[in-house]
Amino acid sequence: MPPATDTTVISTSALTKRYRDVLAVDALALDVRRGEIYGFLGRNGAGKTTTIRMLLGLIRPTAGEVRVLERRIVPGEASVFRRVGFLVESATAYPNLTVRENLDIQRRLTGAPSTAVAETIDLLRLGEYADRRAGRLSLGNKQRLSLARAMLHKPDVLVLDEPANALDPAGIVEIRGLLRSLADERGVTVFMSSHILGEVAHLADRIGIIHDGRLLEELDRDELKAKARAYVAVTVNDPTLAETLLHEAGFRHLERDSGAPGVIRVLDAGKRPSEIAGVLVRAGLELTALTPTREDLETYFLRLTGGDL
Amino acid sequence: MFAQVLATEFAKLRRSKVTWGTLAGLSMGPLGLALFMWIIREPGRAATLGLLGTKANLSGLEATWPAYASAITLVVGIGGMLLLSFIVAFIFGREYTEGTAKNLLALPIGREWFVLAKLVVAAVWWIALTAAVIAESLVIGLALGLPGFSARVASELVGNAMLAAAISYLPVPVIAWITTAGRGYMPPLAFAIAMMALGNVFGKTGWAEWFPWSIIPSLIGMVGQPAQSVPVGSYIVLTITFVGSAVATALQLRYADNTQ
Repeated sequence: MPPATDTTVISTSALTKRYRDVLAVDALALDVRRGEIYGFLGRNGAGKTTTIRMLLGLIRPTAGEVRVLERRIVPGEASVFRRVGFLVESATAYPNLTVRENLDIQRRLTGAPSTAVAETIDLLRLGEYADRRAGRLSLGNKQRLSLARAMLHKPDVLVLDEPANALDPAGIVEIRGLLRSLADERGVTVFMSSHILGEVAHLADRIGIIHDGRLLEELDRDELKAKARAYVAVTVNDPTLAETLLHEAGFRHLERDSGAPGVIRVLDAGKRPSEIAGVLVRAGLELTALTPTREDLETYFLRLTGGDL
Repeated sequence: MFAQVLATEFAKLRRSKVTWGTLAGLSMGPLGLALFMWIIREPGRAATLGLLGTKANLSGLEATWPAYASAITLVVGIGGMLLLSFIVAFIFGREYTEGTAKNLLALPIGREWFVLAKLVVAAVWWIALTAAVIAESLVIGLALGLPGFSARVASELVGNAMLAAAISYLPVPVIAWITTAGRGYMPPLAFAIAMMALGNVFGKTGWAEWFPWSIIPSLIGMVGQPAQSVPVGSYIVLTITFVGSAVATALQLRYADNTQ
């Protein structure tokens, strides 16, 4: 089991960043505990990367503060980064240097032992490319190189912005397993943003949802399950008549699926799908599907942030 | 820790074509001067080969070691104002164009050490280039058989060229600061060209010794006869420029938002 504890590793209070008229991050309060994987979700422009940059001291907050491993991140703070690995936005490396040389630079700058480069190359399965120049790597392998750079000095905290970017499906599964094992076996705290909601749902112990710079919700897996709505999706040839009939039969919470015109969601179906079928079939409607469903993270996220379902 | 930072800054130059490109660029200077000296010495053959226009006026020019040595100092001085600016813009600017600046700013190392290490790399690079060009100049001058060679002339060539190289290095942290503030190559290069033009203008005024970019043109003879020595006031101006702009670069990295 993960050695997650109540010790706070990353915290922000009233963290705010304003660019002239644009409020990029608005009074954000986060608490990330030791050994947990925290998924940070948000649409493009929600404030994820700005937050990550403030966590790393790359940009200065307009107001509020950031603490990482109990150290306040202020200009000039450097010592805490011996225990922090990170990947911000796109994967980058010195193109004229090989994978090994790029990692050796990171090793020197973080004070990692000389064996760290070879170990990390093995860990990220970069052996085949170790002596290839970074400028000649595929996007996926550049991403692996950036992840290797983040992990090389065995940090206690990993701050990863879209770690699955450019990875193929097998690579995504592999990195997921790697992050899970780092958290479970070494107690590494992972703070990761992602636009791949399924990825976060699989991996994260807790999820924070940011929208327009504000933290809308923070929830763990159990809370997500509890909050995600259960409903019965009904596919029928005349949804307008079906809505009327179901309403008359006592089903009060009905929704049309904007993406599928013939589908009605019956939110208060409970354990009564057979009753729904009975009402519709008796009225002579052509019922083609009746599916008990539970919202996934994607649906929940879109509902919370006002997107189309 | 600084030793490690410095080692990584040198490591970043591995397989870089820019290092060889700057050597090739600066070494063209003595070759061009050698050709010029040969044309002055043998205008008839040069004209026959089409190297000299019929209306070219070579009066007042002489193909001697002192003239050649003076021109070499000019090459190093102009190189210092343009090529060294390019080198510094490259060393600092590549971190932005290659997207690696963000990787340097959240490490267990003060950001000011990167500024210092990069300036040291630029200095070493510039010293190596200057030494190579001086050696090349001596070899070419001797091969040409120019009259007036003596140990004193050779040592003056070396001394003046090294002085021009050293003085042209002192204002370069300004280029570093503009590169980090502008996050790319274009602003510092535009600045270097503008300062070269402005330095020539100021060099013809009484302000020459007080304006950092007119001190070199005055010293190497770009704006009149070469100065015999650099006034103390100029050294003070150059030192203030060096320290002030190096500190400004460090503060830029420390406090400015990095949204790259």
